[in-house]
Amino acid sequence: MRDVAIAGAGIIDFGELFEQSFDEMAEQAFMNAVDDVDHGIEPGEIDAAFFGTLDIANDASSGLGASHSTGLFGIPSSRVENACATGSTAFRQATTAIRAGQADVALVLGAEKMRDSAEGLIEGAALDQVWRGRGVTMPAFFGMRATRHMHQYGTTREQIAKVSVKNHENGAKYPHAHYQFTCSVEDVVEGPQVTYPLNLYDCCPVTDGAAATIVVSEDVVEEYTDDPVWVAGSGLSTDSLLRGDDEALVGFPASTQAASQAYDEAGITAEEIDVAEVHDCFTITELVTYEDLGFCEKGKGGEFIDSGAPELDGETPVNPSGGLLAKGHPIGATGVAQINEIYEQLRGEAGAVQVGNDPEYGLQHNAGIGRNATGSISCVNVLSAERP
Amino acid sequence: MHEPPFVRDRAANERLEAWECDSCGYVTIPERREVCKRCGAYPDWNDVQLEERGTVQSYVVQQRLPDEFETPLPVAVVDIPQEDGGEPARVYGLFTETDPDDVEVGMEAEADFRTMFDIDGLPVNSFKFKRPRGDRL
Repeated sequence: MRDVAIAGAGIIDFGELFEQSFDEMAEQAFMNAVDDVDHGIEPGEIDAAFFGTLDIANDASSGLGASHSTGLFGIPSSRVENACATGSTAFRQATTAIRAGQADVALVLGAEKMRDSAEGLIEGAALDQVWRGRGVTMPAFFGMRATRHMHQYGTTREQIAKVSVKNHENGAKYPHAHYQFTCSVEDVVEGPQVTYPLNLYDCCPVTDGAAATIVVSEDVVEEYTDDPVWVAGSGLSTDSLLRGDDEALVGFPASTQAASQAYDEAGITAEEIDVAEVHDCFTITELVTYEDLGFCEKGKGGEFIDSGAPELDGETPVNPSGGLLAKGHPIGATGVAQINEIYEQLRGEAGAVQVGNDPEYGLQHNAGIGRNATGSISCVNVLSAERP
Repeated sequence: MHEPPFVRDRAANERLEAWECDSCGYVTIPERREVCKRCGAYPDWNDVQLEERGTVQSYVVQQRLPDEFETPLPVAVVDIPQEDGGEPARVYGLFTETDPDDVEVGMEAEADFRTMFDIDGLPVNSFKFKRPRGDRL
């Protein structure tokens, strides 16, 4: 199989983007990625496109939506949808196409217009089904893990809150973040309750945004950059929608499986990850993800954040961009933006949020759910500063 | 219950009948399948009867929901035991008539037959949970 590298990354400022249409956001992210390529690129050199979006606002259509917003016609263009792992799966599919020799230069485009509808995802809780999580919203689905984790492992409310404090501190320094304020543990635990045990600052905001990545094969990489970031491994896994195993009450088994696949492919262990962008749709999600990805033992997520390890100057910085909690979670764009952040971190170009440990390996992770039930789907991509 | 899914699922929804894998003991409700989603076998499935009570494994208290729900609303993952032993079934359950402060992991919950929602004015009935009456704080 051919090696795959990232040659360019583009993002727009995430936030309340009322003035921008879905297509304008996607087009701007695409143009920013094109501008980012060190030696330049002509859009006509792109020979495949992978478009990640849940199409929350009913704007996107199919792969045709990516062509329409970018002007890339006459090439294979596909829309990818995989719950919250949509952007990361689009990246994985682009990688796969290049490895297989179907493309040499592929565009990964992620976009989501979250704020055009007032209801958002909450209407999903009114599902007319008896057993599939009627009355369960996103904060409920994830909050269920928080209650159980505190009960089973003695994790404290303050430890969970620290995830939000850390990510807002990073987000305040990250130029594209939706929220650029800091908050204290007190602010989190005394904030308005959304779904016990989660309060307002335990939850990611509702955010519009888009991001784009240009990935290339080893055969053409030198035409585009002298400083590529390489794809070292990738994993994608699912866990039963309804089964509800004990381990699914305190974590996301699909994340462990996807990480294991990605580590195996990269030939590394969790200890070798120097920086990570992980799925912190809620504080508890990041805390259990430390465990699911192997950054610490099961049940020790609270101790891990207490130790300072995931902070910007820690041993394994997690979510230097501010994560979903501060940066925002425009679903299709989220995974792509995370990939872009790891790309910048491994090139040493992350500015005010550059981690201090001269990272060699970076990890990107999304975990999603299906229809408010117990199952999870997860995608993990491992990037490397050196060619694998 | 006039729509096809609710007619199919009546035994599960209205009588708490479930199906047990005779290979690994996994209990499935309301899905009736060929393959066991836990052990992967193609087992014989035993019809089993669940009790009208369960044990809370985890829970949240919903403060914000669409208008048709009353909040605050406790929602829980509940293990419902079988009448004749074996593994419990694990379900999501809505609470009713229960003070959110009275809910905790490990507590017993009674299953109460209720209308879950209406479709075109016709009710779909199944079970909600509440703290047992003699056990209220």
